[in-house]
Amino acid sequence: MSQLDDLLEERLARLEAGEPLEACLAGLPEAQVNSLRKAALLRAVSDADPVADRIAAERRELVRLAKENKPMASQSPSSAPTGKARPRWVLPVALAGGAFGLCSCMMILSLLAGLAGLNLLSPERSVAQNPTPVHEGTPASPKATGESNQGLSTPVPTAVALEAPDPQTAALNEPHGVVEVQASDGTWTKVQAGTMVKAGQRVHTGALSRVILTFYDGSQARLGPNSEVSIDALDAQKSGPRVVALTQWVGESDHDVATSSDAGSRYEVNTPSGTGKAKGTVFHVFVSTTLLVRFDVDEGAVEVTSLNVTVVVVAGQSTIIVAGQAPQPPVFHISGEGEVERIGTNWRIAGQNFRTHADTVIIGDPQVGDWVAFEGRALLNGTRVADKIVLLHRRFENTFAFVGTVDAIGESEWTIAGRVVRVDEVTRIEPGIEVGDLVEVKGGIAQDGTLWAASIQPVVTNGFRFTGVVQNITSEAWAVSSISVTVNVSTTIEPGIVVGDVVQVSGQILEDGVWLAQTIRRVPAGGGPFEMVGVATSLDPWIVNGIELATADWTEIDEGIEVGDKVKVEGRILADGTWLAEKIKLWDEDEPVRFAFVGRVNSINPWVVGGIPLAVDDNTEIKGEIAVGDRVKVEGVVLPDGTWLAQAIKRLDRNRGCFSFSTVIRGVDANQIVLFDGQTVTLGEGVTVEGELNTTAVIIIFGCVREDGTFIIVTIIVIGQIELPPTPVPQPTTAPPPSTGSFDITENNQTLTLICNGNSVTIRGNDNHITLLGNCGSVTIRGNSNWVSIQSATSVTNTGNNNTIQGP
Amino acid sequence: MAGPRMPDTSGPNLVVLAQRGEADALGALYDLHYRAIFRYFRARVGNWHLAEDLTSDVFRRMLAGLPQYRPMGLPFRAWLFRIAHNVLVDHYRKESGRMSVELQETEQQGQSAADPASVVEHKLTMEQAYRALFELEPSQRDVLALRFLSGLSLREVALALNRTEASVKALQQRGLAALRLTLVPE
Repeated sequence: MSQLDDLLEERLARLEAGEPLEACLAGLPEAQVNSLRKAALLRAVSDADPVADRIAAERRELVRLAKENKPMASQSPSSAPTGKARPRWVLPVALAGGAFGLCSCMMILSLLAGLAGLNLLSPERSVAQNPTPVHEGTPASPKATGESNQGLSTPVPTAVALEAPDPQTAALNEPHGVVEVQASDGTWTKVQAGTMVKAGQRVHTGALSRVILTFYDGSQARLGPNSEVSIDALDAQKSGPRVVALTQWVGESDHDVATSSDAGSRYEVNTPSGTGKAKGTVFHVFVSTTLLVRFDVDEGAVEVTSLNVTVVVVAGQSTIIVAGQAPQPPVFHISGEGEVERIGTNWRIAGQNFRTHADTVIIGDPQVGDWVAFEGRALLNGTRVADKIVLLHRRFENTFAFVGTVDAIGESEWTIAGRVVRVDEVTRIEPGIEVGDLVEVKGGIAQDGTLWAASIQPVVTNGFRFTGVVQNITSEAWAVSSISVTVNVSTTIEPGIVVGDVVQVSGQILEDGVWLAQTIRRVPAGGGPFEMVGVATSLDPWIVNGIELATADWTEIDEGIEVGDKVKVEGRILADGTWLAEKIKLWDEDEPVRFAFVGRVNSINPWVVGGIPLAVDDNTEIKGEIAVGDRVKVEGVVLPDGTWLAQAIKRLDRNRGCFSFSTVIRGVDANQIVLFDGQTVTLGEGVTVEGELNTTAVIIIFGCVREDGTFIIVTIIVIGQIELPPTPVPQPTTAPPPSTGSFDITENNQTLTLICNGNSVTIRGNDNHITLLGNCGSVTIRGNSNWVSIQSATSVTNTGNNNTIQGP
Repeated sequence: MAGPRMPDTSGPNLVVLAQRGEADALGALYDLHYRAIFRYFRARVGNWHLAEDLTSDVFRRMLAGLPQYRPMGLPFRAWLFRIAHNVLVDHYRKESGRMSVELQETEQQGQSAADPASVVEHKLTMEQAYRALFELEPSQRDVLALRFLSGLSLREVALALNRTEASVKALQQRGLAALRLTLVPE
């Protein structure tokens, strides 16, 4: 057959070179004669052009866009939800944006406690990771705006978001997953992009779902998964008084509020436990099922009120409202990502200790060694509380994965590609695997080098496996998180699945692009892993099989991948439906028996890493000066005899995590800045500074924690200027006021700092700025329009008007 | 015999100029490849207007992808046709495999039954060719359309479809054999 193919090809080449057909046919076997004739027929078909006008118009448009140096409309990247330049961590989408924002703090008392745990400040440059965020404000969405609820995947990023046609209407943009609107008669309807909603309606998102409400004045509210809001009042005028009043019943939302110069404007988010009012602000609202409410502010300020107590939460701060209580004093926010070192009530992530509470949201069941994103608060007593912990990827170290042919199947061990792999009752083995099948095995490496398989599954060269939310079910196709998967009689479907359920779908991508499901089964909500093989149609953003992928700085991406290459992608689908890639590898069908793992070097001659003996040869690439004990990544091939031949061994200088927090500058001296807690930071060459560092500047400090625990500052960003002069840190030599048992402040328009020392305080004056340090007894505010900051008190009573309390 | 193979003048210079934002170079690339890509889609989807739309989509993606294109990887034309193939795959995914065939019904069956050699002399219309191609398996149709309607070399087809040359040869051979059943009475 191949000889005949070659012969035909040779004659085709001659034909194409201009030789007459008959000459090319000479000497050909009869079967090939007809094939060559057919080829000649096809080559000679009379041509027909498309409509010339259309060609010319398309050409003009292409050239015009090239001149404008921008892609055509259908190629426009997803519209960013906000135009804010605020940098974010690598996974803002993972944590629904706003809450994930960077930490700033203008609360003096907060500063005293907030930096207490950070005695590791160093001006050195980060060595490996760049915590400067990527994918700023751009949600990774595998579907285009305007898609129907049938949810067919499209490879083209989203089009321009629709605007609300009038102030009394909001447009629903970029719906992802299951998004429903409740009409006034109580019925819920699944919505499409561009659906308009008005006051009186409710919007609900399901698991792995999200949607953006765009108001007429340009303000936006972005709902995360499992969220519900009602529109109480809506008159989003671009000029004049703007009114947007929402009630968030549950879930998460991010708000980007357009600035309004009209004093009568209001943008408020009510919750079952309190209300937040904002103007020209970026903030995040979280409402748990137990009605715990948290407001996080990224820009500007939000007044949060409950039980007639109002606290002002400024950029970088958060406040909590427990149902039936007044808002807690704002504290500063800390967020980042890192390796989990301890779990339980007290977690240790990225070298930082966090306490969890009953309402801490933990997604993905992270374990020690895994990599997570976190957000939390630094309390006044220095304790750090985690409000959300999201698994980003499972541990890399001492885990393995390779593809090979099954040589033998035993009760407790299999031999795959010549390598013995132990299995036990927790090993997930796809049914039907036989000797000779090509499989992918993943698992952990024991200290003695034993390979314990966590899963063994057949390799599919055009396969997929992902977790998504069911949007639509028909007898022929399902829509799952915007992917249309075909089902047929061979598809195994767990009984009882309904729209809104979270499922894992696996199958194959057929030649014509159809995703054929082989199994569909329910999995716990909250996202899960995915993997697929497909063609990369875009690298920025990454689009594979029409799915837009988010990447992180730790995403492993093979070098040299180009548009059109076939790749294998593994990652996790996050709570809001974002597909976050852990690995994007060139897919080499001709050399599938490869391995890659991360471990510590046990010995170098001979090479043993993570307990596994490795063969090396002259072609093995050793990257970096490697010593015993170093953490390395090994990549190579499994030889027929089961030997692991290392092709590359690379030392990993990986950080334990990176995070950010905010503070206020107390003083600046040459190349040093003094933070409010008294710590001094030397600005070395490696530290990037954005903005002017001066006294009272509010700054965000980004940094990473090295393996030895050292915190390395990478970037300092000035985000604002504090309105109040920084309160001096009390010194031991400072004489405290006489301990008379109580302070009675009757003055007006004063700026006072008092150390309570257990005394009670009564404020009768008006318009004061008062900072109460130390432990106070009862604090009673009878005057009006005071700003009072309280570090600690046995009780706080406010009977005045317009008082702002930032208290214990 | 005037075959559809076009001179591969989309060499690195033109591509590099287009990457630099030279609108004329981009227009030249468009002129050079539009028809071949249109023919490919015409053979694959049948619908004239849809083929036009998909062809436009290819050039939009080309414009978006040009900055990332590196000549040391795929040859430009193979890269472009790989985009075309991906556009087609995406189209089918969106349509869940639905296919719209809009071949003209003016086809004269008698002509299909003519001797191949004499048919060559008459020259087939595009409609005849497309009708014949539509009887083939999609992979065979891909290969024959790219090889003989769009004028790609064996290697370019292999690169565009992400297949080995041997695989393309085999598909080509099987496709031509099957095509004979349609156009030539046995």
